[in-house]
Amino acid sequence: MDYITGQFLVNLLMNGILIGLIYGLMALGLTLIFSVLGIVSFAHGEFYMIGGYVVYYLLQAFGNLEPMIAILIAGAVTFVIGVIFELLFLQPMGKGDIERPGEYAILLTFGLAFFLQHVMIGIVGPFPTKVDRFYDFAEIDWGWLRMKAATVWFFDMPISSSRLIATGVAVVLTALMIWFMSKTWTGRGLQAVSQDRQAASVVGINPSHMNTLAFGLGTMLAGMSGAALVTVFAWVPWVGMPASSKSFIIIVLGGMGSMPGALLGGLVLGIVESFGAGLYPDPSKALAYKDAFGLLVFALVLLVKPTGFFGRKL
Amino acid sequence: MKLEIKNITKNFGGMQALNNVELTIDKSEIIGLIGPNGAGKTTLTNVIDGVYKPSEGEVWLNDERIDHLPPYKIARRGLGRTFQVTRAFRRMTVMENMMVPAMAINPGAKRQNVINKAQGILEFLTFEHLANEYGRGLSGGQQKLLELARLLMLDPDFVILDEPFAGVHPTLQETIYGYIDKVRQEGKAIILISHDMDSIFTLSERLVVLDFGAIIADGNPQNVKQDPVVIKAYLGEDEEEDY
Repeated sequence: MDYITGQFLVNLLMNGILIGLIYGLMALGLTLIFSVLGIVSFAHGEFYMIGGYVVYYLLQAFGNLEPMIAILIAGAVTFVIGVIFELLFLQPMGKGDIERPGEYAILLTFGLAFFLQHVMIGIVGPFPTKVDRFYDFAEIDWGWLRMKAATVWFFDMPISSSRLIATGVAVVLTALMIWFMSKTWTGRGLQAVSQDRQAASVVGINPSHMNTLAFGLGTMLAGMSGAALVTVFAWVPWVGMPASSKSFIIIVLGGMGSMPGALLGGLVLGIVESFGAGLYPDPSKALAYKDAFGLLVFALVLLVKPTGFFGRKL
Repeated sequence: MKLEIKNITKNFGGMQALNNVELTIDKSEIIGLIGPNGAGKTTLTNVIDGVYKPSEGEVWLNDERIDHLPPYKIARRGLGRTFQVTRAFRRMTVMENMMVPAMAINPGAKRQNVINKAQGILEFLTFEHLANEYGRGLSGGQQKLLELARLLMLDPDFVILDEPFAGVHPTLQETIYGYIDKVRQEGKAIILISHDMDSIFTLSERLVVLDFGAIIADGNPQNVKQDPVVIKAYLGEDEEEDY
């Protein structure tokens, strides 16, 4: 345990925050869908997976393409797929044509998840693909900040450039999303529908449009998370499953339907996983237990505060 | 302006909530809609504003059939309502509560014009000091006022007020009286649903009584008050024998 120094702990914290911000972005999309449509999308992880593959194919096809443009295109693709799916399959639910909408949504999004996974297995095969890091950093040595190719040292703490760029993308997207939801009239309309669907409807807001927009934005956020993280992990068609389950944990941790809760939940999960894996006595098994630490905190929060950090009382 | 409710029947499974209801409002007036609990008042309101589709019959607004339209389209055509249990947007400020619907209906509206209109309404309702309060922080009566304010932002021709006086402090009740008077003077028609008979008889120019989903009286409030059918509906069949 000699390796546990102050710097090591700060390093764990930093890594936890970096990954937690990305988790938060993914969960933000899921919580937006839940708060407006009132459903949990079990296909969320598959949009994350598609976002990564869109970047992979774009960079393969157009070698000189700016990676940030590829991430934007991945966002657009997943937004369009999400909108089409919502219009075709979820609109009848919003119109009251479905007798048991809760069960319908669960089965439908599960079906979509399997469909998308198997379509991608058909297209890319079951073998992992890897995307090279988006940028090589210039060589810099300012003492407290050093950069070289794939690594940044912040006060001598190494951070992978891929992870840092993914976090930067997550921070920018999260800020844009918060701005959109709180400062634009469309965002406030989404909030109105999420707070009281019937009241929003009788004052002239079209809840069906808001459903479509929320689902599209939610899938877009998942897609862009995947697009940003495709250089960090090996990409396979089922890469979205663990990401999806983490998003479910985060939105319950943060409080179902709460956007600040999704961000805080993401950070907590990221930090807990980082410390859990870093401080586990047997480093050879530490990574295998990483998810278990997140689930442990999840269980504890549910025991102490079942509505999550910012959840409303049921 | 014209609202026509033509032979509306509404069934929920085997239960008939509305039975062949027929009502026409074609001028600016205050119509009191009363009836014992469970008579179908709120169901009728929900059918008029599109929350429920009628099982039979039609609803026409200004010569356009609206019973197949969703509530947001009916609201945009000039029919607004409040709810028996207030439904303010609790995690928005009073000002946002008022501006969001106005901007949803008219996205091209100039923000400053909408703010000015909202401020004028808040001042009229003596409510301007709460403009930045969140909906969840308001008392029940203040939330009622907020719903009324939000309704005025839409400038509807027909206004349905469902129990606007329930749980409201007498001071606020006076403000709501003023509101109804102002809306009436602006040439709108108001359907007022209330269990507060003093308010109903003070304000209404026409009284409609529902019982078991059917209209049992429609006319001048003083005449309706004396109608034996109405008395029986409210007091019961054996009223004279019991007392």
